Amino acid sequence: MELLIIPLLFALIALFVPKQFLRYYALIGGLVSTAVAVGHVVTYVPADLYVSVFDPNWASTFGLTYKMGYDGISLIMIVLTNLVTFLILLSNFNGTLASNRMFTSMVFFMQVGLLGVFLSMDGLLFYVFWEISLIPVFLIFLWFGAPGRKADLIKFFIYTFVGSLAMLFALMMLKVGGSGFEGAASFSWEDLMKVQLGTTSALWVMGGFFLAFAVKIPLFPFHGWQPETYVKSPMAGTMLLSALMLKMALYGMMRWMLPMAPEAIESYTMPVVVLGTIGVIYAAILAIRQKNIKRTFAFASISHVGLIAAGIVVMSYDAMTGAVIQMVNHSLVAVGLFLAAEVIDRRLGTNEYENLGGIAKQAPRFAFWFGAIVFAGISIPLTSGFIGEFLLIRGVYFYDMTWGILIGTTLILACVYTFRAYQLSMNGPSKNFNFPDLTWNETAVFFVLMVLIVFIGVYPQMIVEVIEPSLKTLLDNIHSSQNIAH
Amino acid sequence: MTALIILFITALLSLFIAFTKKPWMVLTVASAGLIASATALICESKCANMLQFEGLEFTSFAIFYGVIAMIFAFLILLTAYSSFKETPEHTGDYIGLLLFSLCGALIMFAFTDMFMFFLGLEILSIPVYVMAGSRKSDLRSSEASLKYFLTGAFSTGVVLFGIAWVYGGTGSFKLAEINTAIMAQETASPLVYVGMLMIMASFLFKIGATPFHFWSPDVYDGSPVVVTGFMATIVKLAGFGAFLKMFSMAFGSLHDFWAPALGFIAVITMFVGNLSAIKQIRFKRLLAYSSIAHVGYALLTLVIQSPDSPFNLMAYLFAYGFSIIALVTVSLILNDEEDQISSFKGLARRNPYVGFVAVVALLSMAGIPPLMGFFGKYLVFAEAIGEQPWLVAIALLNSGIGVYYYLRIVILTVQKPEEGSPVVSKHKVPALQWFVLAVCAAAILFGGNMLIF
Repeated sequence: MELLIIPLLFALIALFVPKQFLRYYALIGGLVSTAVAVGHVVTYVPADLYVSVFDPNWASTFGLTYKMGYDGISLIMIVLTNLVTFLILLSNFNGTLASNRMFTSMVFFMQVGLLGVFLSMDGLLFYVFWEISLIPVFLIFLWFGAPGRKADLIKFFIYTFVGSLAMLFALMMLKVGGSGFEGAASFSWEDLMKVQLGTTSALWVMGGFFLAFAVKIPLFPFHGWQPETYVKSPMAGTMLLSALMLKMALYGMMRWMLPMAPEAIESYTMPVVVLGTIGVIYAAILAIRQKNIKRTFAFASISHVGLIAAGIVVMSYDAMTGAVIQMVNHSLVAVGLFLAAEVIDRRLGTNEYENLGGIAKQAPRFAFWFGAIVFAGISIPLTSGFIGEFLLIRGVYFYDMTWGILIGTTLILACVYTFRAYQLSMNGPSKNFNFPDLTWNETAVFFVLMVLIVFIGVYPQMIVEVIEPSLKTLLDNIHSSQNIAH
Repeated sequence: MTALIILFITALLSLFIAFTKKPWMVLTVASAGLIASATALICESKCANMLQFEGLEFTSFAIFYGVIAMIFAFLILLTAYSSFKETPEHTGDYIGLLLFSLCGALIMFAFTDMFMFFLGLEILSIPVYVMAGSRKSDLRSSEASLKYFLTGAFSTGVVLFGIAWVYGGTGSFKLAEINTAIMAQETASPLVYVGMLMIMASFLFKIGATPFHFWSPDVYDGSPVVVTGFMATIVKLAGFGAFLKMFSMAFGSLHDFWAPALGFIAVITMFVGNLSAIKQIRFKRLLAYSSIAHVGYALLTLVIQSPDSPFNLMAYLFAYGFSIIALVTVSLILNDEEDQISSFKGLARRNPYVGFVAVVALLSMAGIPPLMGFFGKYLVFAEAIGEQPWLVAIALLNSGIGVYYYLRIVILTVQKPEEGSPVVSKHKVPALQWFVLAVCAAAILFGGNMLIF
């Protein structure tokens, strides 16, 4: 429970901290919550279903149980959330937003929402946190975003909200029951899993979950909100969105979509793999053609997550492991890439390629760290991306060769757009500007990111050991209920 | 019965106390009367030896709905007080009319026969006609009053005619006897069907469902904002309560006949309300259209007949009412002659407290968890999803459309003021309105959990 309460307290107190101390306060908050989360990993003992952290056992005919808990998968996401929040605050340490109370508070509130999503073991509670986490990021976008954002704000909110409503539909159906099946006794994860859906209702339920997650990931035809939102959000908002918020959706696919309606998995696997593949290639082509570095990375993000989604639905143990590792990797790389874009934006006030070039000569340290992140982004061996993407592509390949090969092109396409971004901004003749090198806090963020990326790349066991029992239980549960259905 | 009498006496008293020209005295008496009446109403189920009357039956249904109507009326009284006291000589009239109308609402929850229903309907409506026109010098207020009166009188005629048809088909005015008469007939007499549809049309008019909604934007827009709040909460609650009661008690056995029609009406009501609300620039008009949309959602409780329907409907209107009262109060505080939505601009910067409550109320109406509006919606939709998944899917889609116009105001409210925009001074918030906002915010923020236990 302290996992959730600590950030909440930090969020509330942040509204009253004097401005000159706010940035230190923010860092302390990030560090403390990260430390607590790491403590949970160290003491983690795999439990039967999950480790319960909150179970008030309130009798309610309505069925909302408020159950919270974590297993290995959620635990990894929780550590990731806290760590990335800390890094976001650290990278902002010298920025103008660092002394803004609302901003600091909203980042912590976002953390609360995300942790709630990862901790919820109750369907409706999950939905509530899912929606709550939308509010802080929306407000950050609204208050601190780039000019001309109003239409994008509404588009972003409505896209995600309509998606969430579809999930609400699925949850209601599971709980209430319908033609040919009994509803669940309560909203708790165990109870919802026990529901034996009919063929049609399973399609409805999974469709509802899928729509919610597909919008947030975002998968190919549902990505309309994403590029403009990423580009016009302040850097911290973009990082929260790409590094954390879309992980909510991928995590949701594992925890809620697949176990809830296993009867319908087979009908959904192929479409999701196809959509993921289309997204990978389509977004990569768009990323290659962009004129703005932040926009390139926004499309790069769509391209990367398509692969993770495809890997999750093929439902093999290896691909799932790869998905979790790649989720971690994608967060770290996204923070790195968007920070690089922000570093340029802070110093030059522009992100257009035509105004950039030759930065490497003036800022060698930045060139080094940006280069390192770029290599992590294209998943060369010894980085975490290699492990994740390799397992994912392998999983999709064994499911269907053609699509496996097609989705594997991500490795080549990623090289093209990330190298192009690096080349056009860092190399070439120097334009007429003065580019100060990285400050200590920016360097620190890059350093932490690279250490983690390389460490996971060399020793992925660190993550695998935590998630292995939970993943196996999860897959066993899904397979056994699939067998009952047949 | 005692509650009704207390309420009636309070209303009379407030008319007479107005002669002292001391608005605070009227308010005190009215509040005391409301509290006494609510207590008496709650006693109805527990105490023996209460006054009994054949035509009115205070079941738990009537008590719950009645108490909620009283809570709303109390909050509206408090919030309206600052505008009432500007004309001390009329304070008694306003408050008296409001309480008389509330008497009608109570009757509409408790009736057991068609006579009492009709009486309740009239007692509810006539004071509202007057209140709608209470800003005598304002042309739009008079227009609203006249429009409401004419269409209202017409719908009254229709409902009377319908009652006559039903009497012709069943030979009784009592709900229970009508039901037994319909059950006894192998195929219900066509007279009953015709009468029932007429009654239904009149109900749909009262609650403002499409295609009988045309009066509501004009009337909501023209009336003083307090009256708009009254119509959107208490009149709607009374209309829905009586609708549900009559159609489950008297015509419950014909459910298969009227439910599809009502389902269809619910769908078009949602679409008409939401799509028309998108382009509105005046706040009260927007409230009117959004309330049409909410009527559409709430109608689902009637389409699906289940033992939980009365509770779900109550929960929905309860959640909705708090949002409306909060917004009405905010609108009173803003005190914008033109009633433009743009007057919300930068409200959260000027008055953080008022801005916060406005945002919470709007988000609750949009159905964002964990606010109360979400749970109200959830209860209504979850009840319907088993039988009518399509209807729920359409309703959810409509909630998505609805977010657009609520969000527009939310963005205006929390937005930073633009450079060079005229400086608007901080609004004054009278203590009573401050209190009402606090109650509404607390209810919206924490009431959701109460609904589901």
